[in-house]
Parts: sequence; C-alpha cells; structure tokens
Amino acid sequence: MIEVLGLRFEKREHSNRLWQASMTLLAIIVALLISGVLIISAGPNVGKAFAGLYAGAFGSWKAILETLVKATPLILTGLAVTIAFRGKIMNIGAEGQFFAGAITGYWASTNFAWMHPVLHFFVIILSGFIGGAVCGLIPGLLKGLLKVDETIVTVMMNYVVQFILSFLLSGIWQAPGEFYYISSPVPESVYYPVLFQNSRLHVGFIIAIVATIVIFWLLQKTRLGYEIRTIGLNPTAAKFKGINVSQVIIITMLISGGIAGLAGVGEVVGLHHRLRMDISSGYGFTGIIIAMLGGLNPFAVIVAAIFMGGLINGSNRMQIFSNVPTALVYAMQAIVLICLLTFQVLANYRIRRVKVVD
Amino acid sequence: MLSAMMRIATPILLAALGELITERAGILNLGVEGIILTGAFFGFFVVYRTGSIPLALLAAVLAGGLMSLIMVFMAATLKVDQVVTGLALNLLASGITFYWYRVAFNSIGATPTIEVMKIAKIPLLAEIPILGEVLFSQHLLTYFAIIMVPMIWFFINKTKYGLEIRCLGENPRAIDIKGINVTRLQYLAVAFGGMMGGLGGAFLTVVSAGIFLPDMSAGRGWLAIVVVIAGNWQPLRIILATLAFSFFDAFQLQAQSLGVEFPYQILLALPYILAIILLTTSRSKSEAPGHLGLPYNRD
Repeated sequence: MIEVLGLRFEKREHSNRLWQASMTLLAIIVALLISGVLIISAGPNVGKAFAGLYAGAFGSWKAILETLVKATPLILTGLAVTIAFRGKIMNIGAEGQFFAGAITGYWASTNFAWMHPVLHFFVIILSGFIGGAVCGLIPGLLKGLLKVDETIVTVMMNYVVQFILSFLLSGIWQAPGEFYYISSPVPESVYYPVLFQNSRLHVGFIIAIVATIVIFWLLQKTRLGYEIRTIGLNPTAAKFKGINVSQVIIITMLISGGIAGLAGVGEVVGLHHRLRMDISSGYGFTGIIIAMLGGLNPFAVIVAAIFMGGLINGSNRMQIFSNVPTALVYAMQAIVLICLLTFQVLANYRIRRVKVVD
Repeated sequence: MLSAMMRIATPILLAALGELITERAGILNLGVEGIILTGAFFGFFVVYRTGSIPLALLAAVLAGGLMSLIMVFMAATLKVDQVVTGLALNLLASGITFYWYRVAFNSIGATPTIEVMKIAKIPLLAEIPILGEVLFSQHLLTYFAIIMVPMIWFFINKTKYGLEIRCLGENPRAIDIKGINVTRLQYLAVAFGGMMGGLGGAFLTVVSAGIFLPDMSAGRGWLAIVVVIAGNWQPLRIILATLAFSFFDAFQLQAQSLGVEFPYQILLALPYILAIILLTTSRSKSEAPGHLGLPYNRD
C-alpha cells in the first residue's frame, strides 16, 4: 500500500476488465501527449501534425483502406507474439520469422509455375508459414528440450535471418541490373487478389482475420490452448497437471513463427511483389507492442494493429501537413508501450482518496 | 586487422562491462542496444553542433544513463517485466534517434538514399583540426575500456560496494535485511551500466564512423549481452569473449577490402550463430546471478 498526495493505492484482489481497458486508453492518451512534446522539439504546429496524422490514417475511405494495408502484417505479427506471450514464451523473433516467411514465400512464388493458380496460392501461403515456423522452431526446440532461454536466441535469429536475406539479395536473387538489394518481381499470376478496386488492400487482410479467429479458437477452445494458458500462468503447476511443457513450448513456437511468416509472405506476394531488404519496417517488433496493447487478446490485437497501422499510414500526411518527420511514429509506438507498461501497474491497484484527519 | 579488431571490440566491451554491473545487481537490461544507439546519436549531435569531443562524450554518457534510468524505474520501482521493458527501450531509442536525426539534419527529403548523401557530406568532422585528437581519443577510449576490465574485477570482488551488488543479484532479501536500500543500489548499478553503454555508443559515431545512421548500433548491444553470458559474468573472460566475437567482423572487413570474392554475410552472421551455440552449451557451469531479471518484493 502506497499513499501519495492524499491518494491511497491498494493492490486489487481481482483486476477488473473495464478498469484495465480504461488504463490502456489513458496510456494511449499520455503517450500522445508525450509525442506532442516530441513534435514541439521539431518546432512546427502540434495541432497541424495530429490533424495530418488523423487525416492520413482515417480521414477518408481511401486512407482507411491504406491503413488496413499497413495493419495486415501487423495483425499477424501481433498474433504471433500473442500466442507465444500467452504461454510466457518470450518470442522476440517475429521480425526474423517475418523475413524467413518472406524468403520461403518468394521462393515458392517464383517456382511451381506449373501448378493450378489456386493450388499455387495455397502452396505459397503454406511455404510462408513453414519458413516462419522453422525459424520459430529452432529457439522452440532449444527451449523445450535444452531449456535455453528463448529471449536472446530469438533475437540472434533475427540477425541471422537478415544476413541470409542480404546474402540472397546480393547474390542469386538480386534483380539483374539492380544496384540495391532487391529481387526480380514475382510473376503477376501469383499476386494476392486485391479486395477493392483502386486500393492496395489484398487478400492478406482476410488471411489475417481468419488467422485471428483460428488463434482465438485455438487459445480458448482447444486442449493446446488450455495448456499454453496454464503454462503462461504457472509453468510449475502446469507440469504437475501432467502437461508436457516441452512439447507445448515447441508447438507454440512453431505456430507463432508460422503466423509471423504469413505476414512476411503477404508483404511479398500481396503488396511489394518483390523481395527486398526493407520489406519490414520493424513489423516484428511492432507486433510486440500490438500484442501488449491488445492485452494478449486476439480480437483486441486487430484493433491495436489498425491503430498502429493508422499511425504508420498517417505519418506521411503528417509530414506533408506539418513537416514533422514520419520517423516520429516509431518513437510514438515505443512511447505507447512504455506508457502502457506503466499504467498496467496502476491497473492492478485501486485508488482511494484518503481523508486527512487533523 | 588486429587494430580493426580492437576498434570493433571497444564499444561492445564498454557496454558489456556496464551490463555486467547491471546484471550483477539482478537487473536484466535488454535495452543495451537502444542505450548504445542513444549514446551514438548524442555523441554525434554534440560534436556536430559544438565540435567538442569531451562534451560529446559527456552527453553520450548522460544520455545512456538517462535511458537506463527509465529501465531501472520500470524494473525496480514499478516492477514491470524486465524483458519487455528492455525491448521497449530499444524501440524508443530506435524511433527517437531516427526522428531527432531527421529533425536536426533533414531539410532535403525523406528517402533513405538522401540520408546517406547527407551523412557523406559531414566531413566537417574531418575538417575540425581536432582530427588528430579524434584518432587519438579512439585509442584513449579503447585503453579506457581495457583498463576498466581489471578495475571492475577489483570493484566487484574486492570492495564493499562490489560485494553488495553481487549479493543483490543473488539474494536481494539479504541486502534488505542488512538495512541497505535495495532500490537505491539497483539504480546506481543500472545507471552505471547505461553510462558505459552510452560511452560505447559515442565511440561508434565520434571515434569510429564520423557519421550517424539510423539503427547503426546494428546488434552490438545484443552482442554485449551475449558476451556477458559467454564471459560467465566475469570481467576477464568478458574481454576474451568480446575479442573473439570481434575477430569475425574484422576478418570480414579485411577480406572485403582485399577484394576477395566471399559471401561476407556469413562472417557477419557468425557471431550470432556462435552466440546461439554458446547459449546452448554454457548453461551448466553458469555463474549467472540467481535473482537475475526478477523483481524484488518485500512482501
């Protein structure tokens, strides 16, 4: 119990959902205020910057569609982190798993041209999943079988995979005549179909929504989901309940990596139609923020991803409106996370006014 | 090539020694990457504006210290999950330095290619007559890092404060019962770690590169964390581990400069692969602080 300024903070027995949600909202508001201070450090008008940010993100039907384009990979990386974090498995490797999925997805889309387009479509998706899954499986096996801490291993994997990509893009996959690390385009026949005319929103968005439903179902309605959640609450208790903790960890990392891989293949085949070094703007890391913001709830992840996608999408308009560099939104994302972590602590407390007795 | 190896090792060694003290105090600061980046940015920025190297180093040290204060506030005071906090710190540093870099140096455009050009035209650093001193101070920081190895060994093994910090990482309750302020000691240890990381970052810009690039820390912070594990939380082994990791990078640079046709990415990836192998094999004889990464609650 802490008393400050006539307010008493008591630890709550049960944290209430509404209170937690309002703390999340408060965290976002405080983060926006801090971002306002950052904008002032650049000089220009804060109001203009936020207006530009909003207009660029949600100001028109076109802007909303483009926000959903940006949200698509973020939903998937957010889900990937969610399922792992639910089991208290610190998968920080969504970035690398994203790249791995992009690599295998690109490979599949430039091969198997003889296949029926529909079959090819599913083969491409599956290879994206497998690429990410393999990348998640390595730290999963190390943790599950040898109890090697997954945090640092997944981070190391991020770097290794990026060097593999750089190796491929400066060698066998480099587009002829290109100076930059960029591949030749994938054949037009494998492009993910676009959902609305004159927009870039592609089938990947539907895949992300389906994945959300599947992950929700998996976590809430299946035995595996129950085991993941139990391990997340208390690994020792899980063991005593007869859960094969090692096996669950390995499977979880496999699924988590696979989902992040789906994000990677989606960006290649659905959006950029090429493989390139800068295909992710830290989507794997933003996925961590999104998962936390969504309270590790799959459907809330969609909302959080659209919010983050809106920030990224709106940042261009903001720069044009107010000359505030787009890079601001990356700082904003982190500030949101730090505020969220801070206010989540508050969410576990009940605040009472203490009457001062003279 | 050996001098290249020393140059590559210096920032990692500085950050690793800082992280050693941090972890010995029981706090797992995974924000080293971000702390290095912040130090790199402020070091660069201050030299660019004032031309003063000492001022830049001071700024980098303070910036690193400030970043680590966020870490320790979240970890020791709020008792938030340390892994997530460290990551948040990295993301914050990555975003904020990128943003301020653009604010401070970008009046042309926003594409990454222009960035490189903009940086390329900062031979202002080179034109400053202190150039000789910059080169000299590279050696100074490297020497400083090396001297810090026995000093930190002495500190943690032979002094009262060192003993307290070691004990803090193993059994914070014992420290609390002795009437020593646990939180205060943790703040001091983590702040020291952050300052060393900031200095390591300054080395990258002020001494080594002369330019700032977004995310230029490029994994050095993570290598510093790995080196602490590989060095089994002992300063003398940490310097050996650092040199071993730096060797590949130096070798790769050498091979490239000689124009050898070689997939240099393999050598660049090697430290990270090696790190995974090391993490897998070195668990059994670990001297890791027993209470590392866990919050201390009195009740």
